[in-house]
Amino acid sequence: MPIGYYFILSGLLFSVGLLGVMIRRNAIVLFMCVELMLNAVNVTLAAAARMWMGPDGQVFVFFVIVVAAAEVVVGLALIVNLYFRRGTLDIDIPSLLRR
Amino acid sequence: MTVLTQGGIGLTATPETVLFIVFGVLALGSALAVIMLRNVVHAALMLVVNLLAIAGLFLGLQSAFLSIIQVLVYGGAIMVLFLFVIMLLGVNRDDLLVTDRSTRILAFAGAAVLSAAILFTFIGPYTSAASICGPEAAAPTAVTDVRCYGLEQAYDRTDGAGAAFLGGTLFTRYTYAFELSAVLLTVATIGAVLLARRRDRDASDDDIDDIAETLPSDDTQEV
Repeated sequence: MPIGYYFILSGLLFSVGLLGVMIRRNAIVLFMCVELMLNAVNVTLAAAARMWMGPDGQVFVFFVIVVAAAEVVVGLALIVNLYFRRGTLDIDIPSLLRR
Repeated sequence: MTVLTQGGIGLTATPETVLFIVFGVLALGSALAVIMLRNVVHAALMLVVNLLAIAGLFLGLQSAFLSIIQVLVYGGAIMVLFLFVIMLLGVNRDDLLVTDRSTRILAFAGAAVLSAAILFTFIGPYTSAASICGPEAAAPTAVTDVRCYGLEQAYDRTDGAGAAFLGGTLFTRYTYAFELSAVLLTVATIGAVLLARRRDRDASDDDIDDIAETLPSDDTQEV
């Protein structure tokens, strides 16, 4: 199994996540698309760790998962705050700066 | 598998290939479902499928510990948080997809260009039989024999990829990064508690005193 197929899959997953960030307007779904992109990068790192046969790539995936957990906690708290403040999850409504 | 071999793609029917194709198709399909489904709860459940498929890919990459972490942290904790917030805020079907047609066309074109760039970058140098990657590429002994290490050859290594393999590096070379991540998690938890607290009038201290005054006091009950 050449390593490039993992890279291709990871690139496609990253593209799908980026597409989701561009076409969705719901803040929660936007956040889930960011998670998709993070996971795509994790696949790349794990495949590279397998290719170079060292533990460093896997350690990096571990740290990415830790940072993603922290990011989700803070981001969802921000989204809840934003919803109670503005009453909507639509991020295309530019009412925050207009007031 | 034989179709792929006869097609000249260069894949042989090893267990890892089967694992890669099954979980790769599952991950791509569920990722597309995440961004296409209009219901937010359905998208979140598709994201669970995607995360579990990526855990399967980690298994194929002989990273068993990462696979377990992926299921526990992503499939468990993070998805529970997502679903909790979705249920807390309510599902709204109206403001989900971008309805502007030109924006959507531009987004699809951009994603297609990015995918094409990634494919053309990787298909040439990394997937052919004479690709340049692996430990020999860093220190090439013979210029003519720089081959890509297949993952089957990587299986023959004696060192595993379990918790001991990962922990040995994590607690020696990356000790400071590990402790910094602990600090990061603590700060994130405190920050989330502060951010998500609603500053309503009925949650202030004065109202608590008002509620306490309406309750019967201890003295009257004792007498």
